[in-house]
Amino acid sequence: MLSLSSITKRYGDVTALDRLSVNVPDDSYVSLLGASGSGKTTLLRVIAGFEEPDGGKVIYDGHRLDGVAPHRRGIGFVFQNFALFPHLSVADNVAFGLRYREEGPVTDPSELKARVADAIRLVGLEGLEARKVTAISGGQRQRVALARTLVTEPRFVLLDEPLGALDANLRERMCDELRAIRERLKVTFLHVTGSETEALLMGDVVAVLSAGSIAQVGPASSLFALPKSADVARHLNAYNVLSGRMVNGGFEGAGARFALPGKQAASMVRRSKWRCVSIAFPCTRPVQLPLKPPERRQSARALSQASSRVHRFFPSSGWRTAPCFRSSLT
Amino acid sequence: MEIVGEQIRGAASAMGEDNGVSPAERRGRQERRTALMLISPGVLWMALFMVLPMIMVVYVSFWTQTTFTVEPKLTTDSWVRFLTSSTYLASTWTTVRIWGIVLLSTLLIGYPVALFIGLMVRNQTLQTALLVICVIPFWTSFLIRVIAWRPMLGTEGAINMILMKLGIIDTPLTSLLFSEFAVLIGMTQIYCVFMVGPITFMLSRIEPSIIEAARDLGAGFGRIFFKIILPLSLPGVIVGAIFVSVMVLGEFATAASLSGRKVNLLGNIIVSQVGSLKWAFASVAGVILTVIIAVVITALLRVVNLRKEM
Repeated sequence: MLSLSSITKRYGDVTALDRLSVNVPDDSYVSLLGASGSGKTTLLRVIAGFEEPDGGKVIYDGHRLDGVAPHRRGIGFVFQNFALFPHLSVADNVAFGLRYREEGPVTDPSELKARVADAIRLVGLEGLEARKVTAISGGQRQRVALARTLVTEPRFVLLDEPLGALDANLRERMCDELRAIRERLKVTFLHVTGSETEALLMGDVVAVLSAGSIAQVGPASSLFALPKSADVARHLNAYNVLSGRMVNGGFEGAGARFALPGKQAASMVRRSKWRCVSIAFPCTRPVQLPLKPPERRQSARALSQASSRVHRFFPSSGWRTAPCFRSSLT
Repeated sequence: MEIVGEQIRGAASAMGEDNGVSPAERRGRQERRTALMLISPGVLWMALFMVLPMIMVVYVSFWTQTTFTVEPKLTTDSWVRFLTSSTYLASTWTTVRIWGIVLLSTLLIGYPVALFIGLMVRNQTLQTALLVICVIPFWTSFLIRVIAWRPMLGTEGAINMILMKLGIIDTPLTSLLFSEFAVLIGMTQIYCVFMVGPITFMLSRIEPSIIEAARDLGAGFGRIFFKIILPLSLPGVIVGAIFVSVMVLGEFATAASLSGRKVNLLGNIIVSQVGSLKWAFASVAGVILTVIIAVVITALLRVVNLRKEM
């Protein structure tokens, strides 16, 4: 198990990771969801050892990882831009780790050949071994990057937006393949992404990263049913988040006033210093706002403005974005 | 698509330009004309001031040399004299040897500098500033740069003074100046920057994530350097080596001013032969030098396919 405890990382005045703590269980697919700038890549770089944290501990199976040089950590990293070695062929890229690693390099040429062939077969790149990596397509490069990391048999694989550089069609296929490959190898994948679709589709467990710390961790379904905070709800892209204030136990905001809905939704209410609240409504069951007629027109306009950034979730057909409140008000 | 095609065809024939020539062909002709216009000044210049003089040099090398004149009567005398004289063959060897040593020393000194500027410094402004600092010696003339080594290396020069003040030596070292050592020092300093520049350029183009990937795969620094960094910077090394080679092989001024006439390169021979009006003999040395340079450059270009790598 990989556990991070109160990891802090600063760049000058900017705090990229703020006392972040999370446990990643073995043999699981964990996706880390965060908006751009939320510290996703920094977190991966701290785990891989390209950056050292300013505070906190990285512990893997009881051993401290922070302070260990990246090439001695035994953690695989699949880069967003793949970072293939441009002067080497596909097979030499894949063989690099086995051949040149400091600890236990594979010197027997026949074993090396066999293991590289296995890795290339695993990602389905047979026949391209001799090609230069500059002469293959984006999807194939992604597979080379994956094979190059997996062939060294890391205990733990970090994937930094691995599908970001692929087109939509390929992304979907790679999603399935990544899951299948992981299940076959029984290693842990930590998959970082900015797309909630990808995070929820891929992860056995989804962790939501917000403002440098983990806002919530849980199975995709539980995350959906009950986001802990409005922040998490916003990341899931399936909730309307309204800002307003609490007045007499009711909610007032966006030009509307209404009683708070049931117990469930009430738990999503987050109080802040200024007695402002954010409230998240699941879009699957649009909330009927008990508005009085004179207020109706004005508030409808205000709400439709507010809802321009609001998205709607149709469970049967995948993800859609649409303004959600217009229909429920008119 | 078809409709659009026909419209264009219609428009073209309406303007009377469609004489059975396809648009692709017309575009191709236009591009060939542009290319010809762009290349002709260069070709003309090179033909007049390089190819023609070089043919002339080869021709003159077979002329008959008397004490004060040279006559266009063909003979191999000058060639025989050059190839049978131990002095001239020795100076050919000296040229090649000094070239080899300077190439190696500029590489050994230049590569770490380039490694620092191109790979360690990731701030582009700072990179440019450091490269400009490397070029500062070039703000003065070539001869001044060479002669500036005299007060450094002389018996009463800076280095001897410092060594004596520190008590490391009692009597000044006389071998510093007016020796082959001085020539090597001078040339290395002058030509090092031509090695640093191209290597820095290639190194700065290496994605940092590639090096991180190599580390992540378990490779230590040595492996990363020899398997990733060096191969990726090799085109820069070759370009730098070509710069340095061309300049060092044709050198005469550094040797003349820092060796005390002890080191005679082919360049020095050409200068002295031209000075004593031995045109035919100077031409022989010139042809031999040109051949050496051509062989060196061809060999260097064999190492890396520059067209593919740059």
